[in-house]
Amino acid sequence: MLDILSLLDITFFLLAAMGALIGIIFGAIPGMTATMAVAVCLPLTYALGLHHGLALLLGLYVGGISGGMVPAVLLNIPGTPSSITTTFDGYPMAQKGEGERALRVSVVASVVGGLISAAILFLFAPLLAEFSIKFSYVEKFLIILLALTVIASMSRNMLVGIFSGVLGIWLSLIGTYSVSDGGNGHTRLMFDFLEPYLFEGFSLLPVLIGIFGIATILLEAEKGVKSGLAGKEINIGKGGGFSLGLFKGRLTNLVRSSFIGTFVGMLPGVGGSAASVLAYTQEKNLSRDSSEMGKGAPQGLIASESANNALTGGALIPLLSLGIPGDSTTAVLIGAFTLQGIQVGPLFIPENADTWYVMMTALVFANIVMFFLMFYAIKHIAKVVLVPKYILYPIIVMMCVVGAYAINYGIMFDVWTLLIFGVLGYLIQKVGLEVAPLIIGFILGGQAEVYFVKSLESFGTYSIFFTKSPIAVVLWLLIAASVTFSVVMGLKSRAKGRQEMTQ
Amino acid sequence: MSMPSISKTLGTSILMAGMTFGSAAAMAADGPLRGNVRVVIGSTSTGGDTYQNSNIVVDALADHLDLNMKVDAVGASAAFRALDRDSRGNTLMIFHDQSYLGHLYGVEGYDDIFEKYTIGPTVAINPGNAYLVPKDSPYKTLNDVIKAAGNGEEVRVAIQPGGVSEIGFSALKNAIRIEHPGMEDNLVAVNTGSQADKNQQLFDGQADMINGTVQANEQYTRLPEDDQKSMRFLWLTARHDTIKQAPEEGLGKTSREELLKYVEPNVNVTMGDDKNFTFDKEFFFLYNKDMDPAIVDQIDEALTEIYDEGEIQKAQQKSFFIPNFKSSGESEEYLKEKMSTYKDIIENIK
Repeated sequence: MLDILSLLDITFFLLAAMGALIGIIFGAIPGMTATMAVAVCLPLTYALGLHHGLALLLGLYVGGISGGMVPAVLLNIPGTPSSITTTFDGYPMAQKGEGERALRVSVVASVVGGLISAAILFLFAPLLAEFSIKFSYVEKFLIILLALTVIASMSRNMLVGIFSGVLGIWLSLIGTYSVSDGGNGHTRLMFDFLEPYLFEGFSLLPVLIGIFGIATILLEAEKGVKSGLAGKEINIGKGGGFSLGLFKGRLTNLVRSSFIGTFVGMLPGVGGSAASVLAYTQEKNLSRDSSEMGKGAPQGLIASESANNALTGGALIPLLSLGIPGDSTTAVLIGAFTLQGIQVGPLFIPENADTWYVMMTALVFANIVMFFLMFYAIKHIAKVVLVPKYILYPIIVMMCVVGAYAINYGIMFDVWTLLIFGVLGYLIQKVGLEVAPLIIGFILGGQAEVYFVKSLESFGTYSIFFTKSPIAVVLWLLIAASVTFSVVMGLKSRAKGRQEMTQ
Repeated sequence: MSMPSISKTLGTSILMAGMTFGSAAAMAADGPLRGNVRVVIGSTSTGGDTYQNSNIVVDALADHLDLNMKVDAVGASAAFRALDRDSRGNTLMIFHDQSYLGHLYGVEGYDDIFEKYTIGPTVAINPGNAYLVPKDSPYKTLNDVIKAAGNGEEVRVAIQPGGVSEIGFSALKNAIRIEHPGMEDNLVAVNTGSQADKNQQLFDGQADMINGTVQANEQYTRLPEDDQKSMRFLWLTARHDTIKQAPEEGLGKTSREELLKYVEPNVNVTMGDDKNFTFDKEFFFLYNKDMDPAIVDQIDEALTEIYDEGEIQKAQQKSFFIPNFKSSGESEEYLKEKMSTYKDIIENIK
């Protein structure tokens, strides 16, 4: 034990704290992600050595995932793909003048999610890794399908919502079924002249920033940007009071969402955005009153933010106990080990106990630093909405363009994607389609296809989706419950609407 | 002086200072290769061997040439496109045999590299390409697999199609064709993606054998047999001489002696005419065809000096790479010959 303490010097903690700070900044800038922050700093681990390097990278990871909440709440732009569900309730709250409160709820949910997942990682990593390999293509497809059922329950009009969702899935299929996934690599759903640009489909982040950020700005521009303060009617101090009492009765949601986040994180290839979407759906389906969700309810923020931070510990489970990264950021993080010539695999934890404890310390410490940094900085960060719109919006557009250009290391087409989806986001709201289901369809569509095709390739029959394993049966029950719930809620709200009409 | 002219003068001075400083930095390197150099690689993974190996080489080169060089893990198609765009020499590429195997397998996005690009020097070999089975598999040797397929038993092999992961499978299929004509279709490819996917196929019982690597799978081979995840090496595709150059302690807890059990002559995959198939995954530079030949020479010379100093070899071996420097011209000839061998195999089993 003393050996480990000797590894934890001041530099170690400073690096973890610095990582968290830089990570938050990366996460908060639309177009910059935790993955990018880790990738940029990866070569530094050469000079820093493994343990100090890991402190920095884990700090960046935790900070990067958390920072995404800031633009999601204040500007309706998800800073990272996993904070998309944060916009659903965060932005309406910010518009009501509760931006600061929304951010504080998010920060508390984030730190709880992060710490719960760290505890699960520490106590159950090898055991859970054993469980995660029970999830073959079939179960992974069903998880994605379950997350997709959110489309039905979150839309204002179910039919329009489903249509928008299918449109999103269709958009996600543009490009190729990648050769590296065992496909033929032929381009599809596009004109020939677009092949050089759309070979790999539309990039996720420019699409997200475009459809949320640019579209919001276009809608505002249409209303006309007054030269006054954007938020002069907003008093961010009052009405935005925060107390831990907000979490009263929400503990189940907090813990459930943290578990969902950890669980999705530990399934390689399912991805971060699915975690928060799934947690959000479950809160919507299981809470006693979910009627305010999507209109500015703290419970939506709790679900989304605790789940996406819980992803961090979850994604480290397969990395450290199978050598398989759980998400895109841990896929970069694994480089820190290979660059130092250290193998990660099923025997990593028993054979590298020092490194394992050091990582756990860094992870917990980074979460705590993130909490204090953000909780006390929020008062100032929330003032962003007080910046006059005619100054704020051009800056946002500029940041979006820079972010989109940088995300794939300088591809100009990504900037065009941003613009195309900005206009598209504007238009679909004009014609009455819904953005949220469309974007969820877009995020999950590609994975759904790969896992569906792979399941059929592996097992050769449709019935396998029902008979593969008890896990598959449980997932089908959850899917059925989720769909039934949406239909019942839809019918109820329709009846209520009719009643109001007749009165 | 009026305000606009003050700012103009100020601006011009800053610009000039910047230019002076910039050119001083550029002058630091006195060869034809100048400024910032981006080295794109054919893999998007920063945890993989291409990134790891490229970093070792590029760091040494940057030090030696006193240039700012950085490795970018952009993936094959993005890397080729980046290379196509830049003939100044400020974008270079490092990749491995996948670059021509992709073309041989007819994968979209892979052109004939020997026609389209200038082939730069080879730098190292990753000797880890391997085939594994579950520890409790009835196949104890690769010969068992060949025999089983020859006897009409279906053997499913999880690979990532279209390149390095498939070439060993193709060679094995070709060997079955030679030893048991007409039975080669009993060796069935299960097309998957990442290493995680291949492992998962084995855990699910959807594959009897998988392609893997010593680096990624060595720990799995040390798990007890009753563990669902335990595996056993059957075959390393590297040449005997290549593994012989690995450090004595091998990798993880598997020594070089042990690894040698899985290469020729202990494991033989015939190509006919008493020749055995082997495959070393080799890393090399690729350049834009129109790049100044002086840069090709400059990098060749720099690497020759670096390899003469002998430090880089230690760094490569520490990370389980086998140093293998061949200058530009030499490597082109060598790789062309290598490609023609594999071309025959792929055509034989079509």
